Amino acid sequence: MSEELLRIEDLQVSFSTRRGMVEAVRGVTLSVGKGEMLGLVGESGSGKSVTGFATTRLLDAAGRVTGGRILFRGQDVTKLRGDDLRHLQGAAMSMIFQNPRAALNPIRAIGLQIADAILTHKRISKDAARAEALDLLRAVQIRDPEARMNAYPHELSGGMCQRVMIAIAISCNPALLIADEPTTGLDVTTQKVVMDLLADIAAARGMATILITHDLGLAARYCRRIAVMERGRIVEEASPRTLFSTPQHAYTRRLVAASPTATSRIEDLVTEEERERYATVVSKPRQEPAHGTPPLLEVRKLAKRFDQGSAAVADFSMTMAGGESVGLVGESGSGKSTTSRMICRLIDPSEGDIVFDGQSIGHVASRDFHRSRFRKDIQMVFQDPNESLNPRYTAFDCIAHPLMRLDGMCVGDALRKRVEECAERVGLPLDLLPRFPHQLSGGQKARVGIARAIACRPRLLVLDEPTAALDVSVQAVVLQLLDRLRRENDIALLFVSHDLNVVRMLCDRTIVLRNGGIVEQGESRALFDNPKTDYTRKLVEAIPHIETGAALAAAL
Amino acid sequence: MLSYILRRIVATLPVMAIVALFVFSLLYIAPGDPAVVIAGDQASPEDVERIRQSLGLDRPFLVQFGSWVWRILHGDLGTSIFTNLPVSAMIGQRLGPTLSLMIVTLLLTIVVAVPLGVVAAWKAGSLIDRVIMGFAVFGFSLPVFVVGYMLAYVFALELEWLPVQGYTPLTQGLWPWLENLILPAIALGCVYIALVARITRAAMLEVLQQDYIRTAKAKGLGQGGILFIHALKNAAVPIVTVIGIGIALLIGGAVVTESVFAIPGLGRLTIDAILRRDYPVIQGIVLLFSFVYVLVNLMIDVTYTLVDPRIRY
Repeated sequence: MSEELLRIEDLQVSFSTRRGMVEAVRGVTLSVGKGEMLGLVGESGSGKSVTGFATTRLLDAAGRVTGGRILFRGQDVTKLRGDDLRHLQGAAMSMIFQNPRAALNPIRAIGLQIADAILTHKRISKDAARAEALDLLRAVQIRDPEARMNAYPHELSGGMCQRVMIAIAISCNPALLIADEPTTGLDVTTQKVVMDLLADIAAARGMATILITHDLGLAARYCRRIAVMERGRIVEEASPRTLFSTPQHAYTRRLVAASPTATSRIEDLVTEEERERYATVVSKPRQEPAHGTPPLLEVRKLAKRFDQGSAAVADFSMTMAGGESVGLVGESGSGKSTTSRMICRLIDPSEGDIVFDGQSIGHVASRDFHRSRFRKDIQMVFQDPNESLNPRYTAFDCIAHPLMRLDGMCVGDALRKRVEECAERVGLPLDLLPRFPHQLSGGQKARVGIARAIACRPRLLVLDEPTAALDVSVQAVVLQLLDRLRRENDIALLFVSHDLNVVRMLCDRTIVLRNGGIVEQGESRALFDNPKTDYTRKLVEAIPHIETGAALAAAL
Repeated sequence: MLSYILRRIVATLPVMAIVALFVFSLLYIAPGDPAVVIAGDQASPEDVERIRQSLGLDRPFLVQFGSWVWRILHGDLGTSIFTNLPVSAMIGQRLGPTLSLMIVTLLLTIVVAVPLGVVAAWKAGSLIDRVIMGFAVFGFSLPVFVVGYMLAYVFALELEWLPVQGYTPLTQGLWPWLENLILPAIALGCVYIALVARITRAAMLEVLQQDYIRTAKAKGLGQGGILFIHALKNAAVPIVTVIGIGIALLIGGAVVTESVFAIPGLGRLTIDAILRRDYPVIQGIVLLFSFVYVLVNLMIDVTYTLVDPRIRY
């Protein structure tokens, strides 16, 4: 390793909460060399972000460094105060955050926001700062930078906002850049562009970078060294190659297994010890629908226009058989969510028809569809389990509500039994049923969302990015659950996602959308192995795969 | 933007029409024969009949309303029954003191309440925060007239720093004008300061939790820059709203304050008119206040666009 820039020794951080002190980081030791890019990988709650915030001194008021040292150029950061601290922040050390749109001041022009950072640390005129800001916008490759100087964050895309954040972070040529989940929530293609840009800039300017991410594949692609964190501790530190070929710690093994690769199957997502139980389910052959059975769902030339604007979705047709799983992929703005919502009858199509089980449902107004007898046949699992559960409903209420509304059940033993049966099917422990969403973990909330959706025994389940907000290990479990439900209960799955790895594993067929139209469709494996259009190829290539064995050896 | 303001002004027309109808109906909502009410206890039947005819009360309701509106549209608010002066002239005379009082109170409130709220939010949970919020509760709970008499007693009677009561127009100099307004403005502003400080604190607390404040810290910006450049402007929409709503509070409070400090403003005129059952004057004042309030609301909405570029009309 080159000359050492940052050294964290036995760092301990605690948060005071209503239930007393919570230890978020318990004894982290790591070091970063000049110009090095280090990956800090872990799942939510592992303390990886807290370590980053402690280093840049941006911890919440409730958080406190209770032990250890953070030596930056030999100086203990945890002891800095006042002006010394401000000379550090943004100048010698800077940070990029998750969710770039929220990280920018919504009512300040981006040019000014970049100039703010420059003016804080350099004694130059406002005009000179503005000129520098413009240069930075060029450096992060924003098109038409002169015009963008006066733009506000809401006028830019997520990827553009993250470029602006990078411009702010590098404005004073820091020696260390901490990127906290910089591309989470961005499309795979945008993720690749932003990460390539970040890596190029870091290399060109000799900046050391700590890449904090939950995505092992991403860290493996850009970092030479990866530290894996679990529950406030670093459990393993190694090069990507060693980490994937011979993971030492049990947690790393689980994490590596749960991270989808270009060839993994759903059953591969758990470690070998846990695999057996699942294998029995998968091995059962699926019964093929009898020849000549009409399709469960038939969508004909569906289109949606918002406010007389250009079409969000145009000329979309597809069919689905019972028990089939179809993936709907594309970048944000491709119309995949709009399409899924039309099929769920949550919004009205502008043109075209939807035929479910031989009956046209496309012309039933969405606000009346809850009275249709098909409402219980088509159910939806939403993107963010944290946002899509009513915070005032217990898990039990959540699952019971559709049963009461759509199946006409009343409060009583029968309802309790049905709810418990649903909970069991999704693997939700029964003692969690009286809890409210904030008392459940992300994975448990996802299970509640799925239990709610399958409560009325639907025949079609529409899933809008159901695992996007989940950790990979939880994602693995949820994916297995969905696959098992499909096999056991013959539920058809329409799976909307930007995560191609997941779609490839879970779905028989895949439809690629772009700008509201179908670009390509076909059997999933074939489509991803041999994309026929450039667009699909670009999507596939942008996925940060964990390159195993030979491929990785060749790359290094 | 201009077309939006025009549309908003057009949209206020139905509101003003309803207000006008209500104001006009005041005479009829009051119990008894309006003519008898106006004439008072000692009037003879002939007097009542004369008043009835002079006011046109013998004609049908809608005809009366129509001609009343017609006259208002021509700038004629009617004639006071008590003084026989045109109502518009009476209001015009009293407008200056009330406007002065409201403007001084408004400025005082913004200058005092907003920084207090910002500091309280910045130091949330600390002693300073608790003291400021304690004062806010205190200011909220005290009636205007209690504060008014207390201030007058301490600062005017005992310490003799400021005049006890009265009003001097601005034309006679800035200090004589201001001197008379300081105590009334504090008395009237108390509730208002408490309200705005609380809202500022709440709005700032919300904003200070946002990601972009963390970004500002990461850039190394100073505390002042973070609070006033990045946070306060983002918190401005609720604060501006409450300041606007507060103008309605001020109108109510001005009536009491002007009585306490003997300021010859619209508040005093209102009380006098009510006591004398001077209906044309009451109608004129209520109509004016409603109009001001509608106008203030329009101004608030326009202010939003200045504060937040995401709001477009």
